[in-house]
Amino acid sequence: MRPRPPAMRTKRRYILARILPYRAWIDQKQMYFSVIEAATSLLGDAAAGLAQPAVVFCEGGYVVVRCRRGTEKDVAVALSTVTAVADERIALRTVATSGTIHALRRRMRSIRQLPGDEEVKIGETYFAVYRYPRQKVDLVEKGIKHQKSLFFTEADLEER
Amino acid sequence: MKITDAGIHPYPAGDSTVARMALEAAGLGFDSTVVIGDAVHRSPGIEVLRGTVIGAASVKEVLKRVRDPAVRRADIVYVDAGDISFNRAVVSVKEVNVVRSIHATRRNAFDHVAARTAAEQGVAVDISMAPIIYLRGTRRQKALQRYADVLSLQRRYGFPLTISSDARSILGQRSIREIHGLCALFEMTGAEVTEALSSIGRLIEPHRPVRVVE
Repeated sequence: MRPRPPAMRTKRRYILARILPYRAWIDQKQMYFSVIEAATSLLGDAAAGLAQPAVVFCEGGYVVVRCRRGTEKDVAVALSTVTAVADERIALRTVATSGTIHALRRRMRSIRQLPGDEEVKIGETYFAVYRYPRQKVDLVEKGIKHQKSLFFTEADLEER
Repeated sequence: MKITDAGIHPYPAGDSTVARMALEAAGLGFDSTVVIGDAVHRSPGIEVLRGTVIGAASVKEVLKRVRDPAVRRADIVYVDAGDISFNRAVVSVKEVNVVRSIHATRRNAFDHVAARTAAEQGVAVDISMAPIIYLRGTRRQKALQRYADVLSLQRRYGFPLTISSDARSILGQRSIREIHGLCALFEMTGAEVTEALSSIGRLIEPHRPVRVVE
């Protein structure tokens, strides 16, 4: 089958969003379900259908969402209402919108976890410590599932 | 003009400390933030104000609570909205700065009489982003209807509005651009959003005639 000529193809826009918390590992399919649920719930079936949101890729702490040109503002608002993916609490911070994925890749800066393997006790609970640049410290409860997360800074941790 | 998030709830009410939420707010483009509760923090990048919330069933209880030392220490005093008579009365209390949780009240609980009094007294109404972000279905629709109603009263009577993320975690905080998008859902214009985000500064230091001190 011959592809459509370029002038007749649907014009697309790509939205780059950062995933919080930094250590979250999200499956692309689960992310797609959450984005579609948020868009449908906020915009309705008709508008979400016209916007055609789709998750192009989800890796390295970033997600790229594709949509039809002209609907990127609505989809970006819908992305700000995504609060969980497969029972894991997350937030999506829109970074940039572009017509090409190549341009968005230039805006992706990997967030390095700083070295260090330690744990702290808060109350009766033990937490694993994950350190990030700008003095950010994420604490994740030790356990197998439904671990609680706390978001501290180095200064907060030293005060304890 | 300081762009302010008019309400965050840090650890232990939430899961993020004041310092971390202040760091996040600075990254999201805010100049200051109001912390609900006793947590105090001095951050080089962002001004942290102290806020307190009065949840009362009657105006008599509000009048009693505003005399508490903890409430007197606060920069901003919030009162949870209630029924129509409560809201009409509470906006005329001098110590009250902001009426919040308006989305949780019944329809017409904040009416034109309360709006006119709020405008005269300089009492603001808070618009929380949390119901728009976290609620789904009819509950979110009702919140959007309430905000649209408050906005139409604000355009008529001119009382101040504030915008808060009501975040209990860094995951609940949103950037200024995202807040513009979320407020556009109930037809709030960009200029109105900017005005609402900067109104906390005017509540703390209202414009008054110059007084000559001899």
